[in-house]
Amino acid sequence: MLALRLSNYYFPDHVGRYEIDIDDYEDMFTDLLIETSYMHVFAGTFLIASIYFLFLFLNNKKDYPTLIFSACCFLICGLVLTVFSKDYIPIHYSLHVIRLQIINTFLLGISFLIPCYFSMQFPFAKRKLALILYAAILVSIWLINGHQFGLKTTSMVLSMLCFSFGVVGYGAYQNVRGARLVLVTLLLSVIVLFASGFVVSLYTGFGLILIGMLYLLTLNLKAQRLAYESSLVQSTRLRLELLKKNIQPHFLMNTLTSLMDWVEEAPKKGVLFIEALAKEFELFNQVEDKKLIPISQEIELCKSHLEIMSYRKEINYTWEDEGIDSEQTIPPAVLHTLLENGITHSLPLPDNSIKFKLIYESTSEYNCYTFLTFAVIAKQSSNIKEGTGLKYIKARLTESYNAEWKFISEPTTQGWKNTLKIYPKEK
Amino acid sequence: MNILIVEDESRIAKRVDRMTRDILGTSIESLAMVNTLHEGLAFIENNTLDLVLLDLNLNGEDGFDLLATAVSASFHTIIISANKEQVLTAFEYGVLDFVLKPFNRDRLEQALKRTTIKEEETLSSKTKLLAIKKRGRILLIPIENVLFIKGAGAYTELFLAGGTKELHDKSLEKLEQLLSPSFIRIHKSYLVKMSEVKQISVKTGSKYLAELKNGTTIPVGRTKYKDLKAKWL
Repeated sequence: MLALRLSNYYFPDHVGRYEIDIDDYEDMFTDLLIETSYMHVFAGTFLIASIYFLFLFLNNKKDYPTLIFSACCFLICGLVLTVFSKDYIPIHYSLHVIRLQIINTFLLGISFLIPCYFSMQFPFAKRKLALILYAAILVSIWLINGHQFGLKTTSMVLSMLCFSFGVVGYGAYQNVRGARLVLVTLLLSVIVLFASGFVVSLYTGFGLILIGMLYLLTLNLKAQRLAYESSLVQSTRLRLELLKKNIQPHFLMNTLTSLMDWVEEAPKKGVLFIEALAKEFELFNQVEDKKLIPISQEIELCKSHLEIMSYRKEINYTWEDEGIDSEQTIPPAVLHTLLENGITHSLPLPDNSIKFKLIYESTSEYNCYTFLTFAVIAKQSSNIKEGTGLKYIKARLTESYNAEWKFISEPTTQGWKNTLKIYPKEK
Repeated sequence: MNILIVEDESRIAKRVDRMTRDILGTSIESLAMVNTLHEGLAFIENNTLDLVLLDLNLNGEDGFDLLATAVSASFHTIIISANKEQVLTAFEYGVLDFVLKPFNRDRLEQALKRTTIKEEETLSSKTKLLAIKKRGRILLIPIENVLFIKGAGAYTELFLAGGTKELHDKSLEKLEQLLSPSFIRIHKSYLVKMSEVKQISVKTGSKYLAELKNGTTIPVGRTKYKDLKAKWL
């Protein structure tokens, strides 16, 4: 005959837990040990994942999903350790409430971070507002209900599942990459929740959800890799385009025709022309593999091109610059391309001259280059599509400054005006 | 001969000018140079010309607008350009020759000679379109729609497959230069597409008639009959 009496006499506000396990004495120890060791292995994997993804985040501080994933892993590790600590740490019975409070706090964090992570991966309108509301619901569940810890846990996990389903379901509806697979892992975790006991299902469920999150992270990594690869391809393409400038038929064949003429008619002038040509080729060789070059080098390039063109077109081209800061850099052949366009689309003024002027201004907000052509602008019989020249300029600017630039090209009464504003990276 | 050079690179324009004067010598009545598309169009509008030497890339514009206008006119067009890709299109439009830059005197001479050749045996036609002016617009007519062409003074009449008729500004001689050998001059006033001819019959009084597949009959010149017979047999 065994009689057990339980009392809440010293802690009347604490919730009572009335469960009795009857088992073989040895089994009671070994079962507990086996369960605890498994759960610690489980916690350990989450700890390692947490540290790994924290380092990943530290190397790329803009990648918040990685940080959230790392935090989730850490919280689950903490949760498991706290839950199973009772099996080997002699906790005074009065302190078990604190342990349960810690467990609930971990759950609060996890329940908020998982849907928060999904809403970053599958964005929707008024996301912030929804997350704030959701956080308020979770906190109120956490605060009220006193010591009804089981109820709190269930409510928080259910809210987390509901919100996650909403977000991922919307993502799947919008056909966002990876959303369907994550939806499947969520469904699986719900099935596990209903099919087995609460404690087991909770961890299996978290495990499944985190696998879904991990899958999304790898998708992101893949997307980043592809973006990086395509940026490499783009850079190579731009480099080729730069190299092609001097061998594209319009430039090369006209140059060679003029050269033939000098060889036949005025060899000495031909030699001067070849020298000018050699100078431009030499300058191009120096810059062809660079993403940014000193502005002074770019100006040199423009001047040597003007020399060649003045031989070919027999127009008096002049160059002026104002306020140039030789410390500044610019993507190669951007001004050169503008100059080429200026030469192509302009007719000389009555005194057979065309003047190009480059003005540099720097404000706290941006660096601005104004490139002016003083000439008669050739009438265009049809609408010109955006030429390859402008495309090259825009691609080069995007390569070096992302979206932090503005380019305007417009006619003026005196000729043509190009304005290029570059917003410095540190704002 | 009245000639116009349209070229925006002064050095090259002078080269073409110098060589043309050298090659054609006294047969040149006038030789003008312009360096923009608009000046070119205006000049063509206001002057009588026999030949235009045209660069297709002027001030960044592709010269096919000017080309369509040029080939619809009464004069011949020779393209001098750096762009090899334009060769086929230009020939389809009906230019007399396409001189690729860089060019030497011999190549230009060869091109200029084509304007004076009568029997175009060396030239196989690449022309696929005939450009005509109609109500102020340029219309491109595919050669396969043209059955035969009749000379009408300085102009020509194109008789088309649908039974319609269009007026072209080029003379029969110039069209013959562009369209042989698929078209053959069977009469001093007629240029006929040989693939359309069904039979040639001899009528009384040594008259010869060519009958086309659509039933039209066209007189055949007595002297031309011999050539025709040679080609048919």
